[in-house]
Amino acid sequence: MPDLLTMSGVVIRRGRNTVLDDFHLDLKNGEVVVLVGENGCGKSTVIEACAGLIDLEKGSIKTAKTIIRDSEGRHGRPESPFGLCLQSDCIMGDELVKERIDDVAGLCGKSIDSQALLEQWNLGHRSQDRVASLSKGQRRKIAVLSGVLPSAITDSPTVILLDEPDAGLDEDSVSRLSGLIRDIADGGHGILIASHNSQIIACADRIVTFDDSVIESAPSDGVAWKIKSKPAKKARIGNRLDRRTLGSLSQNIIPGMLVIGALLALSDPTQFDSRMRIGAILAPALAAGLSGDPISSRLTESRSSDWWRSMSAIPPNALLHVLISSALLTTLACTLFGKLEYNLIAAGAGFAMITASVILILHQATLRLSRPSALMIRLLTPALILPWAILVDRLA
Amino acid sequence: MGDSGRQIGIVLLLPRFMRDLGTLLLMSGFAGAGLTLWLGLVWAPSVSIDAFEAPIAQKIFYWHVPSAWAAMIAFTLLFVGSLAWFVKRKEWGWNLHVASAEASLAFGLMAVWSGCIWGAAEWGVPWDWTDVRLNTFALLTLLAIFLVLGRRSQPDGIETRDTFATFGIYGFILVPTTYLATRFWQIRHPGPVVATSEGSLNSDMGMVLTLGAISFTLLVIGHTICGIRLTKMESRLIEIQDIIDKEGI
Repeated sequence: MPDLLTMSGVVIRRGRNTVLDDFHLDLKNGEVVVLVGENGCGKSTVIEACAGLIDLEKGSIKTAKTIIRDSEGRHGRPESPFGLCLQSDCIMGDELVKERIDDVAGLCGKSIDSQALLEQWNLGHRSQDRVASLSKGQRRKIAVLSGVLPSAITDSPTVILLDEPDAGLDEDSVSRLSGLIRDIADGGHGILIASHNSQIIACADRIVTFDDSVIESAPSDGVAWKIKSKPAKKARIGNRLDRRTLGSLSQNIIPGMLVIGALLALSDPTQFDSRMRIGAILAPALAAGLSGDPISSRLTESRSSDWWRSMSAIPPNALLHVLISSALLTTLACTLFGKLEYNLIAAGAGFAMITASVILILHQATLRLSRPSALMIRLLTPALILPWAILVDRLA
Repeated sequence: MGDSGRQIGIVLLLPRFMRDLGTLLLMSGFAGAGLTLWLGLVWAPSVSIDAFEAPIAQKIFYWHVPSAWAAMIAFTLLFVGSLAWFVKRKEWGWNLHVASAEASLAFGLMAVWSGCIWGAAEWGVPWDWTDVRLNTFALLTLLAIFLVLGRRSQPDGIETRDTFATFGIYGFILVPTTYLATRFWQIRHPGPVVATSEGSLNSDMGMVLTLGAISFTLLVIGHTICGIRLTKMESRLIEIQDIIDKEGI
């Protein structure tokens, strides 16, 4: 049987250093491999590289059927989703506890009784709370559960990647987790863990240190972990989150309203010629679009974007809400600066959504940087004024 | 002297030669640019008052066109440097990227600023958001600002270099777009006046413009060579700091 995951001749540079040099690792079905080593030796880099989050200078990372990433720039996603828990919790503060677990199941195309699972982990009473209101240890439990859940609901063997899952957990939770790790392995899944914790290390079939030594071990057996599940559709996570937080109201509608207010205060709409009238009608949509997707800023919380980048080809977004907000703004502008014209409403809404999508892509392109928030990506957004001006010209 | 001795000699002398060459080109460029300005303002003939709304403002052309030309050279160097880093991981590629991004910013701003002044006098408005040439060139300049300020906001490392090199590579698509813009979508910005059948420059004007183009070319190449040298020194400084950190001095 081919290995679940193979890293061959991997060279990775981070910052100014070469962190992994000609690194090899394989992970078999039912195997627990624990990466051990001092801080900075490359444990997290291995986990993140396996999750497809880091570019390789040389080598490749493959599952039985898919290239996860290689130095030629090819990349893909495994047939059945990885379970992933990074060092950060990777959860947006506005997600609800139960929603998060349901969303992870949804990414695997399943729905489960998440309340029962949360009860087992003493989180049942917090199921309808926002993750931001939980303690650090509770958030970590949710992050770990999100990481291991795919193994309990997917039919085929899957890879579980856990980066210091024990960090912030109490003794009881670590004991529960170490038992669970053996149960997962018994179900035929492969688990790769980076940890310093002796209880977690004791679960290992193989311990990999970063001085080229491998220690074989014989841990006790577990009982395969399975949760009853049924097929389900993937949820529209971004739209749901935005409905609850009203992010598009503050991020898209308010700038559009400010533009309308400024136009009304500084000009007389009755004096507008055709071009000026169309410009005034479409200006709020431009402002709404340039303000970007309301979910993308939330994704920067606690490395959520990295988790979603690894798990899904399209990150959560609320572009549909940008479309609706801009349609409303353009309708309002139509009534204030002229008459209701459906082609203008469609143009405004479509343009704002395309603009917000471009900004989302630009934002995604810079996430690999160590300080993406320090980057002035908005400097590039005037590029979107030219198509807007041409659209205004055409419609006039 | 044997072959190896000669090679060592070349390696040792090359940085000094490049430093001197950079300074020489920069100085020649400055002198040429100054002369171009003087000739353009004082000696070159004025344009027909019928052909322009603001004939006097047309003199800014001797500054505007060469600086736009130099900016295009810098953007091309930026593309070459970005590609060399991204594909081949060449250190000189990154140095060229950094130096040419700064040169692109300097010359891009000169062209945009002088164009706005000329536009305000000639068209009555400094800017037209519907003109493709104006907007793509401004976007190139904004890209240069983004690259210069963005690089300063990030610690040097492979992620930083890869990300900015990607922007340098994709951003280059704006160079041919800007060049061809007046041919396909001429709105306000005039089309080419040099080396075309539609060109309307007399020989004296053409001579001053050629002097300007040569001077600004020297200026941008000199600027880039000096910039590369500064970037190398910056890298060396970081290496020395790393060594000091490791040795715990």
